[in-house]
Amino acid sequence: MSRERTVEIVPEAGLHARPAALFVETVTDHEADVEAGPPDGDLVPAQSMIAVTSLGVGQGDELRLVADGPDAESVLDELERILTTPEDELEA
Amino acid sequence: MASRTLTGTGATPRSGLGTVVWYDPGITLPDADESVDVDAERDRFADAVETARAELESERDATAERVGEEEAAIFDAHIQFLEDPTIADAVETSIEEGRPATRAVDDAFGSHIEQFEGMEGRMAERADDLRDVRDRLLRLLTGGERVNLADLPEGSVVLAERLTPSDTAQLDPDTVAGFATVTGGRTSHAAIFARSLALPAVVGLGEGLNDIADGAEVIVDGDAGELLVDPDDAEREAARADEGAAVVEEVVETADGRGMEVAANVGRPEELEPAAGRGADGVGLYRTEFLFLDRQSPPEEDEQYEAVKDALDTFPDGRVVVRTLDVGGDKQIPYLDLPEEENPFLGERGIRRSLDPDSELFHTQLRALLRAAADGAGELNVMFPLVATVEELEASIEAVEDAAADLNDRGVDYERPSLGVMVETPSAVFMADEFAERVDFLSIGTNDLTQYVMAADRESEHVGHLHDPTHPGVVRAIARTVEQAHENDAWVGMCGEMAGNPDVTELLIGLGLDELSMSAVTVPDVKVAVEATEYSSARERAEDALRVATRSELHETIQ
Repeated sequence: MSRERTVEIVPEAGLHARPAALFVETVTDHEADVEAGPPDGDLVPAQSMIAVTSLGVGQGDELRLVADGPDAESVLDELERILTTPEDELEA
Repeated sequence: MASRTLTGTGATPRSGLGTVVWYDPGITLPDADESVDVDAERDRFADAVETARAELESERDATAERVGEEEAAIFDAHIQFLEDPTIADAVETSIEEGRPATRAVDDAFGSHIEQFEGMEGRMAERADDLRDVRDRLLRLLTGGERVNLADLPEGSVVLAERLTPSDTAQLDPDTVAGFATVTGGRTSHAAIFARSLALPAVVGLGEGLNDIADGAEVIVDGDAGELLVDPDDAEREAARADEGAAVVEEVVETADGRGMEVAANVGRPEELEPAAGRGADGVGLYRTEFLFLDRQSPPEEDEQYEAVKDALDTFPDGRVVVRTLDVGGDKQIPYLDLPEEENPFLGERGIRRSLDPDSELFHTQLRALLRAAADGAGELNVMFPLVATVEELEASIEAVEDAAADLNDRGVDYERPSLGVMVETPSAVFMADEFAERVDFLSIGTNDLTQYVMAADRESEHVGHLHDPTHPGVVRAIARTVEQAHENDAWVGMCGEMAGNPDVTELLIGLGLDELSMSAVTVPDVKVAVEATEYSSARERAEDALRVATRSELHETIQ
């Protein structure tokens, strides 16, 4: 079943470079379809680095996540951790 | 005169002289109408992706080792771009339609590259990342030999249309004299890499660069942002002299034993490690504005605490001088709602804002600083920017006491850091004795001090020449500040650009400064200059310099 959550971005770089790479890698490693986008805008596939990066999400922005599949809950937990951890504390 | 000079943007304030080596990945795409074996092309693409991934992983590890984790992170991003399903799907479709894998890859990346190119700032740099990944795949698909940037002859100056992060990461600063590119800006990856490695570099030189042939002699002048082709003897001599000294790890003293702390100015956390690597004894100016930029609301106390603690942990045996938030003037932060003023440099900036209307931000910052002082390894010093009156200073000291009281009530560990005043206004020069009586140190910010003492904007094409700290008026202001500080048992440093100019190191030693803080790149040069100086003769020269009437006489005195 589908789950959803909205998270405020903590890493200074926003959803770019390392946090973005870790974000996409996490989505790929889970059994769930995940989409991401602004709280009131269109969603894009979260397993695409290009799509995720072109959202242009910066520090302090809100990101809406929608997951569907057996790992929906755990993938959202993991993504929330990545999005709310300062970049220098992120463990790959 | 050089036969030719091209102008671009300097990435590193340093010059290098060498022989041009053009770097050209040299990818030629086969004709589009070539007939293809769909299965074979599909396999070729899959193999190329696999090899590219292995290369990226090994380059990431090598970069983490040689440059730093921060810089290595870009390769993780490249791996994700490489494996993006949007690209894989587009390539697959294209191959099925009968195109060779090279064309398919070129087309699949092309539209996304264009999309990012049309965006601003950070987003536009993603176009570089995608190009980098595309070119890597095309090189593997066309069997092109990779030009080995890691194994260039000593004294090479690399010229390129552009250099990708993986290109720059291979350059060895001990053998490469510098690089210059057609495209790119100060914040491009290549420019940032160049600064971390103190490699002379000029970017954004434009199409004219393509006219310079392999084997030409050039000077990359990162200070002026120029590339000089076929330089004459005098220019060569000047560039050689600027090739830079070796890193000196130890704290240095003059030949006759007077110590001088040589520290770095730091504006972002990722500059801390490279500064330590350049032999900086500590940080003489940590600008905290970076914590407040590129976001929609101010950072919380904990985030600020972590950032300052990181700086203190990078210099466990050194001093870190943190300047409290200094906005206004030309530094804008949208959510702070800075007023539009006729003359912002004479308006609400620095401590003036921190006391009101940003007092809440100021208190949060001070609490973070006091906590970091207790937990960080190095010694924290805090200074207030643009102080003009004793009332402002006393209110700032009171704010520190309030922060201490708050933390005490919360039962949190804290420590009172040493406090100081940044001397930037003429008033601060005249009031230096009163200030020094109330704090532990003064730090002279020569960029603003020169601007205010000379009443000259350095960006002005008409009066920019007046913005020079070697005008006797400014030198006398510095001398007076040092004298008043020492009479009141405060130490005194300098954190403007003047501090990083080895040509005036002897003068500054003679004037009695205790600390010089500069861009990390020039730390080794200034350390060498300190060791070559005799304090006793520097003292005499400084006294002479204080007696002259004009800038040209002053230059003669200190030569």
